[in-house]
Amino acid sequence: MAVRMRMEQAVARAVAGATDASDAYTRALCAIAQGVEWPFAAAWEPDVVDPDKLRCVAIWAADEEGPGAFARTTWATALRRGEGLPGQVWQSGRTIWIADAATDERLPRRPAAADAGMHAAVAFPVRSERGLVGVVEVFGATPREPDAELVAALEVVGVQLGQLVERRRADDSRHASEQRYRATLQAALDCVVTMDHRGRVIEFNPAAERTFGYSSEAAVGREMAELIVPPKLRESHRGGLARLLAGGAPRLLDRRFEIEAMRSDGTLFPVELAITRIDVPGAPVFTGYLRDITERRWAEAELRASRVRIVEAGDAARRRIERDLHDGAQQQLVSVAISLRAARARLLEQPAAASELLDEAITDLAQGLEELRELARGIHPAVLMEGGLGPALRGLVRRSPVPAQLASVPAERLPEAVEVAAYFVVSEALTNVARHAPAATLVKIDVARRDGRLVVKVRDDAGGGADPAGGGLRGLADRIAALEGSLEVHSPGGGGTTIHAEIPCAS
Amino acid sequence: MARSVLIVDDHAHFRRTASRALERDGWTIAGEAVDGAGALRAARALEPDVVLLDVGLPGMSGLEVARCLRDGMPQLAVVVISTHDSADYHELAVANGARGFLAKAELTGAVLDALLAG
Repeated sequence: MAVRMRMEQAVARAVAGATDASDAYTRALCAIAQGVEWPFAAAWEPDVVDPDKLRCVAIWAADEEGPGAFARTTWATALRRGEGLPGQVWQSGRTIWIADAATDERLPRRPAAADAGMHAAVAFPVRSERGLVGVVEVFGATPREPDAELVAALEVVGVQLGQLVERRRADDSRHASEQRYRATLQAALDCVVTMDHRGRVIEFNPAAERTFGYSSEAAVGREMAELIVPPKLRESHRGGLARLLAGGAPRLLDRRFEIEAMRSDGTLFPVELAITRIDVPGAPVFTGYLRDITERRWAEAELRASRVRIVEAGDAARRRIERDLHDGAQQQLVSVAISLRAARARLLEQPAAASELLDEAITDLAQGLEELRELARGIHPAVLMEGGLGPALRGLVRRSPVPAQLASVPAERLPEAVEVAAYFVVSEALTNVARHAPAATLVKIDVARRDGRLVVKVRDDAGGGADPAGGGLRGLADRIAALEGSLEVHSPGGGGTTIHAEIPCAS
Repeated sequence: MARSVLIVDDHAHFRRTASRALERDGWTIAGEAVDGAGALRAARALEPDVVLLDVGLPGMSGLEVARCLRDGMPQLAVVVISTHDSADYHELAVANGARGFLAKAELTGAVLDALLAG
């Protein structure tokens, strides 16, 4: 009885000071071995990868010199159920005592035990609520017959050790999980803000620090409503928390919604927010995951606006085409019809007048045709489809009222949308120069492929001061944005205007 | 038989073609106007027998001008003209006080005479 009490107390003391489960084992082995004054003890557990084998998880040896080789053999040995001393305990669930392990042929480690001077051996099960969780073996320096009192003491220690080790292991896993949670919180791109049941901030991660402009130290302990909720929403926030704590049904928990939040400088911004109630013992704790959606909102608004502009630009283009047809070719054709009718009426009696009318009709028809050609080119340049950017841009240069020069243009064909966009950049730029900067003496056009993009540059040498938001340029910017490209207008007063467009063009 | 005409159209090319065609057919060109207000002024000042009135005038539409002329000068014969198809406009023109509608491409002195006689 005395042996048992002493050993239990020694094991409890040893394990209490342990830093983790492995350390607890080593300390317990030491307490057990020293308790019986034997020089070697080892703990075995089912292998994590192959649970049908036992592997040594901790060793204590009184003297590094003697049992060193035996310890190495023990570390390297894997035992199946029923194999070796620990395997037999694992299979039977009972303590096994061998008077002299150095002479027992059944033991796989017998030669090593003999070399190390290990003789008496006792192995006992380590038990927890889960059942047998491991085996501890202790070796003595001399042969010794079984001792019933010692066996009883060791079996109790086995149960004690099982509980202690399990508790340690749970602590370790809790600690590791907490570490993982911390790391996740630190690295999260979203703001994570946790508050207690009084509405006080208890956690404020780095993303929240960056977004709201408070350090974690400054935020923790403050009322969350006062810190990041805009004044107009504070009362409903406090009311909601009070209702929830009084047992009311949650309205905002565990779903995503958009709301306004407030930075430390008082500015408001839109956030996406999800609130979760954290399942902890005691008073409830709530964690909010917030994401600043200012940029997303802006991008959505810009997308909506550009869609509207594209539709409006389409409508405006159709109106312009109708107008151009009506004012141009249609009027010419009306005149042709009138002249032809008049000519027919005079064909026999006044052939000279009829001939004159036919000449008028021919002239009007030629003008009408030219107007139709011009219009068709404006709608969609046929030469671009047939010959690519080179011929199409050279045509624009030829017809430009302001002298223009095409410095470079890729010879190869590019995707149709890219060619069309590049063509209209040049066409719009030349039209703008003719309309707003007729004083220009030269417009220089550069079109080149660079790093998977088509770069279009149009420079004039007039006064500058172009409006980048002007209708034509805005429409062009939308067209190029739809191709994921960019359009920039540099037009410093007195410095000429440069239009620079870049359009992605996969090879 | 009506013989003097006021031509109201914002397209100079059509005014010129129409004037010459009608002159060749024996009509007198009383004058030309390019918009509704000009048309009303010219009609009062020149007192033509007929007004050839384009539907698509800038500002005041041709049909509005037709109504004003019907109310102010009921004796004046107004013929609405357009580049558009006649079927669409004939009814509208008459409802707004015009004597009839003529597609521009069909204009000759004889056709105008026939419309006014009908």
